[in-house]
Amino acid sequence: MLQQPAQHPAREGETYQALTEARRALVEEGKLLAKIYNEPAVFEMEKDNIFTKTWIFLAHETELPDPGDYVVRRIVGDSFIVSRDEHGEIHVLFNMCRHRGMQLCRVDSGNTSHFRCPYHGWTYRNTGKLNGAPFQKEAYGKDGLDKEEWAMTPAPAVGVYKGMIFASMNADVPPIEEYIGGMGWYLDFYLNKTPAGSEVIGAPQRWVLDADWKLAAENFFGDGYHTQSAHMSTIKAGIMRVKKAAYFKDGVQYKVGPHGGMFIPFKPGSFFNYPQDVVDGMRENLGADQFKVLEEDSILPLNATVFPNLSFLHSAMAVEPEGRSIPYLTIRLWQPLGPGKIEVWSWGVVEADAPEEFKEEAKRAYLTTFGASGTFEQDDAENWRSVTRVAAGEMADHHYLNYQMGLDHVEPIPDEEWPGPGTAYARNFADFAQQRFWRTYFEYLLGQ
Amino acid sequence: MLETSAETYWEVYEFLMREAELLDGHHEREWVELCTDDVVYRMPVRETRERGAGEGFNGQMYYFDETRGSLELRVRRLETEYAWAEDPPSRTRHFVTNIRVSSADAEEELAVRSNLLLYRSQGTELHQDLISAERRDVLRRSEEGLRLARREILLDHSVLTTHNLSIFL
Repeated sequence: MLQQPAQHPAREGETYQALTEARRALVEEGKLLAKIYNEPAVFEMEKDNIFTKTWIFLAHETELPDPGDYVVRRIVGDSFIVSRDEHGEIHVLFNMCRHRGMQLCRVDSGNTSHFRCPYHGWTYRNTGKLNGAPFQKEAYGKDGLDKEEWAMTPAPAVGVYKGMIFASMNADVPPIEEYIGGMGWYLDFYLNKTPAGSEVIGAPQRWVLDADWKLAAENFFGDGYHTQSAHMSTIKAGIMRVKKAAYFKDGVQYKVGPHGGMFIPFKPGSFFNYPQDVVDGMRENLGADQFKVLEEDSILPLNATVFPNLSFLHSAMAVEPEGRSIPYLTIRLWQPLGPGKIEVWSWGVVEADAPEEFKEEAKRAYLTTFGASGTFEQDDAENWRSVTRVAAGEMADHHYLNYQMGLDHVEPIPDEEWPGPGTAYARNFADFAQQRFWRTYFEYLLGQ
Repeated sequence: MLETSAETYWEVYEFLMREAELLDGHHEREWVELCTDDVVYRMPVRETRERGAGEGFNGQMYYFDETRGSLELRVRRLETEYAWAEDPPSRTRHFVTNIRVSSADAEEELAVRSNLLLYRSQGTELHQDLISAERRDVLRRSEEGLRLARREILLDHSVLTTHNLSIFL
């Protein structure tokens, strides 16, 4: 399943032994060791075997519309400048001066042709090339500073997938297209459903949450079961306009390579309340098999995670009392800050060629229900924080969590009946997708 | 300098204190009724930018971008028995200082700036959250007294240091 298995798992020590047993319990018995959350030794292994091995999302191309635009992003503890040069090329540059190690750029975004180090003044172009050093002849002699050798260090690997800019700390990572693989069929619904594709609205919301990144990542893999409890308030208040909480039972859950997600049903013919222009765009831009899922099966991808920590969400909710459901999109990154702590990056995203009026509506639907103040998302923060806190104790060393839902009585949809890649199940009250997350996780952490 | 009388200033002061008291006392329903029907309640996303590039407030994306209707929905949610983010509730304290009052564009309106330090703790956790911001309000006179017609919350953070915004600022 993994194109790039973990290279150097520490095959010894207590943590490795405990995780090996945890994997066995998950695979053979469908139960997860609670200690997997908020454990410093596990986090160290995750850094070495997951976050420095896989592709990590940094930015969307529409955040850098003009030459000279840049944003500063991270892969766990490493800062990178993502820049667009004068020729429109994207660069991902390690944000550390080659001279004395100063962080070259100390802001979140801007537009510049050069980055000048505040410490001694070495100056680089936004391509990363060293432009020069102050008093260069006096300091280094006529030919004493090789500008090629002392350029900024690019990220070991950079890949752009349908407007999404990824980087990897692993120079040997497989190409991004290969890593995304069959997941691309599902991602089209988020990134590429109309001819102009999707665009980010403004800048991302960012907030810090005392929660383990895995709780968010696995939830977005396919937790169709939590809505009827965690988000009941939004149903009762008329924000999520569904009649019954069991609504999320139906739909389709899927797993594809190391990734996964789920679809939810909508009223046939309503196209999830997208305006006609967007529906026409989808008919034009999506594959016939993808559009058929919307037109005939009346289901749409709700949530999805690209392993390890990049998630996507389509939803539709009311913004005003008794208002209609307005569809919207968000992309989010669960950026680990340490064991049991994340910085959430949440981008509001919209179909770039949608009518302006709809873009404004979709933005408000997103930020009133998702993001830091979102009436829907607020309660996720509460649950994930709470799990993280309880998992920190000693009891969690021997406490197992149930991941058996649907495993015994739900069969996959036969391949000939499901147009998408991977394996799909006509049930969202099931743990198939989340099981895939955990199996992938253990494969990276411990090797095949 | 202040363009308003001591009497008007006192009126504004009382309004802001009453509002803070309602929010800290979990009387969100009464608080939302202090907002006009056409209220605009916004908290823009803030980025760290170079000094020459302005204050970093993003004109496109917000943490809050609310109408009276969407504020009502938020309150309606809090009134259900399933609003887990606020059950047990946050313990908040709105410290409102540096109140500056001037006349606004419309005759019946006042432009008010205040500094806000919001303390928040929840459950039995040992740590507390602090949110610091300037609020730029427009208060409008009505038959019932002053009402909040516009609020812009300008954060002193580019990354929020609280786990969610299930509270009002």
